[in-house]
Amino acid sequence: MGTIKKYLSVYREFLGNSLAEATTYRLNFFLVMVMDLIFYATSLGSIDFLFQYVTKIGNWDRDHFLFFISFMLAVDHLHMTFISENFWSFSGDIRTGKLDFVLLKPISGLFICFFRLMRPGTVLNGVVPWTLLIAFGSRLGFGFWSWVSLLPMVLLALALMVSIEILITLFGFWTISSYGLNFLRLQFQQLARYPDFIYRYYFRKFFTIFVPVLAIGSGPVQFLFEQGLPGLTLWAGGALILISALIRITWRKGLAAYESASS
Amino acid sequence: MISCELVTKNFRIYKKPGGFAQSIRSLWSREFHDTHAVRDFDLQVKKGEIVGLLGPNGAGKTTLMKMFTGIIVPTSGQLRVMGYEPAQRGIPFRKKIALVMGQKSQLWWDIPAIDSFLLLKAYYEIPSSDFRMRLNQLASVLQVEHLMDVHVRKLSLGERMKMELIASLLHRPEIIFLDEPTIGLDVISQKNIREFLISYQKQHGTTIILTSHYMADVEALCGRIVLILEGRKRFDGPIVDFGALLGREKFVSLVFSSSLDRQPAEWESYDPQWNLERTKVELRIPEKNMGAVIAEILTKFPVVDFYTEKLPIERVLETLLAKPQLISTMAQN
Amino acid sequence: MQAELLKWTRTFAITWSSQFAYRADFIMQVIGPALVFFLVKYNLWSSLFHLSGISQIQGYGQTQMLAYQAWVFLVTLLAQGYNNMNLSEDIRLGKISTHLIYPFSFWKFQTARFLSFQCIQILVAALTLGILVAFDLVEIPNWDHLAMGLAICMSVGVLWFVIAYVLGLAAFWLEETWVLRVMFVLICNFFSGAVFPLEIFPAWLRGILVYSPFPYLTSVPVQYLMGNLHQSVGSVFLAIGFWTLVAWAVAYLVWKNGMRNYAAAGM
Repeated sequence: MGTIKKYLSVYREFLGNSLAEATTYRLNFFLVMVMDLIFYATSLGSIDFLFQYVTKIGNWDRDHFLFFISFMLAVDHLHMTFISENFWSFSGDIRTGKLDFVLLKPISGLFICFFRLMRPGTVLNGVVPWTLLIAFGSRLGFGFWSWVSLLPMVLLALALMVSIEILITLFGFWTISSYGLNFLRLQFQQLARYPDFIYRYYFRKFFTIFVPVLAIGSGPVQFLFEQGLPGLTLWAGGALILISALIRITWRKGLAAYESASS
Repeated sequence: MISCELVTKNFRIYKKPGGFAQSIRSLWSREFHDTHAVRDFDLQVKKGEIVGLLGPNGAGKTTLMKMFTGIIVPTSGQLRVMGYEPAQRGIPFRKKIALVMGQKSQLWWDIPAIDSFLLLKAYYEIPSSDFRMRLNQLASVLQVEHLMDVHVRKLSLGERMKMELIASLLHRPEIIFLDEPTIGLDVISQKNIREFLISYQKQHGTTIILTSHYMADVEALCGRIVLILEGRKRFDGPIVDFGALLGREKFVSLVFSSSLDRQPAEWESYDPQWNLERTKVELRIPEKNMGAVIAEILTKFPVVDFYTEKLPIERVLETLLAKPQLISTMAQN
Repeated sequence: MQAELLKWTRTFAITWSSQFAYRADFIMQVIGPALVFFLVKYNLWSSLFHLSGISQIQGYGQTQMLAYQAWVFLVTLLAQGYNNMNLSEDIRLGKISTHLIYPFSFWKFQTARFLSFQCIQILVAALTLGILVAFDLVEIPNWDHLAMGLAICMSVGVLWFVIAYVLGLAAFWLEETWVLRVMFVLICNFFSGAVFPLEIFPAWLRGILVYSPFPYLTSVPVQYLMGNLHQSVGSVFLAIGFWTLVAWAVAYLVWKNGMRNYAAAGM
């Protein structure tokens, strides 16, 4: 209990600091918002344009597809606002030796590394994906349980996505430069933006089981579309637990290899 | 406080000769070398001691500090700080230490320092009343109360260093590691920081490990000196012994109103070093006859100025860095 | 003259070696996009036709669509690879001051780096083209046509470089310029026809895009290489040249104002 209180109070300070930082650079604050909106518009636009020429892809029609895209945008929105900044700063922390100070603090280093920075400016952008989620959910005739589990499912998807990305980012202990790792991370995000059935069999299996990026969106959304508990949704939860364990191991090994940039 | 036995740290680096072709070649074939940053290092530090680590750049001082604080893991050897193994990085251990690096900042760059302090308060779970009291105290001693709400990037280097010190002391660490805390500061700021550290240490009995390239820091703060050359310990003892390492002699410079053509025969044993115009001479005089010798010179020659040059430890360090072999000969004596 | 040349070649060389310094990164940079193309785009488009049960969209059957995507990939490598990440960092950290006192102008320095980068990209693109041909995804047009296509891509590369330069210079005012860059890449990807052929766009949007530089960044070079361009090569170069001039003028103004700012801040 005391620990939770401590972490919450630390998180509150993170939030406060990020807000103070973000408002210092007002122009940037505003630009990040616009950037996200452009991203939403182009993602939805490309699917919408495509559906002018096709009526169904697999078993899904335009509404299913746009719901899925909106679902991933909602996940992406939370990711962008609360987490993503940290992935970019991690390699800098290693290269400049800023990680030294993180390691000295009497609190989980992983927590400081990956939850310290936020972009409070983009909170407001959440209106867009959530409005779309509700609109397309209604058109698809969502039942009570689908509505109730909408938020938990978005959070499950977010948790799985973040844990995969943390694991990838931790390899920065060995690669030092982060170009490749960030590239990988962004490509996985890209893969997860489309439903899993779009991909061919072996490819789909690989990116569901070994690198579970296709479970991020498709697992939770399947649960919302079908009643009952599809295997893929269960796997999304299982993968989350498994990857969390891998993160702990990798972190420990990474610290042993950490050389700390010379001053 | 610190017990360190045969600690060694190796780093792996790869070398790449310049040029296009070599760049491409380095993609598949790389020559790796192990460098020994610290070798077979032994050190025992007692509570309340202030120990100065001396040595040239790259001697391994910072690497040692980073091992003491658990940031990097020793390749081999036994290391205990306050009974903890630093590499385990246990929470209780981390709450009792602090590291200040003159060349790196732990403050959030784009926001006022007070925000960073509040974050540290949450990290170290410092009760609000203690926090306020300590912060007020530190800020008033360091005279930075009016800068709390200023963005860190707008602070001068000296001001920022004071903030770094506050950030590291808020949780009342039992041991503080100071890695070149006065680097790049002007003379006044250096003096302020030194005086602050001395009074803080007196008040709290904190153990301090310090590295600095400014001998004035070391002279003012440290009772004990550890000299490190190429990752090995070469001297460990009281600062007075270090100053006397090359013999108990004083370097005295004398300036005359006119050039001296003739040199008294008895000066021969003092190893005289003249300037070109022969208006200035430097003599190395044994400590015990210095008074008598100087008194005699002052009466006999037209002396307009005289002074003993530099701090003795600076002279010693300079000499040892230029001729490290001197230490091994001394060890034999 | 010789001394000047040496400045260029040394800058060229140092960029070249810094590209290779982090081995894993370099390999990722070369292989990454190719893998993504094969695994993702290929996958996506071939199953899209399969799953939707249609044989063509706006005249593009599966084979043409895949060829289109393959050429997009090549054109992007040649024309839109340079991101000039270092520029804004140099400005922000005040490193630009060192360049200002060097007897080699900042603009020349940036250009030398760009040329060095382009050389690597040409090698990578040639290799990729070989692989794409081997997998029967694209057909090599005759060599004259290919050379002209390369020339078009290179001139688009210059336009892209100037745009990246402008975006990087925004660091004089902005703490982080990657936001601008991402914004631009997003817009550009969408409106230049990198996601799918512009024919799929609604007619009104296509009508507007004709008057923008976007189609020239991807769609036009791709259509040319596929032999589907209904526009003379001369007019293509003219348009690219025009937009490069516009971007250049903007870069000049931004640099001038930025320097005034920079000097005033006394960084």
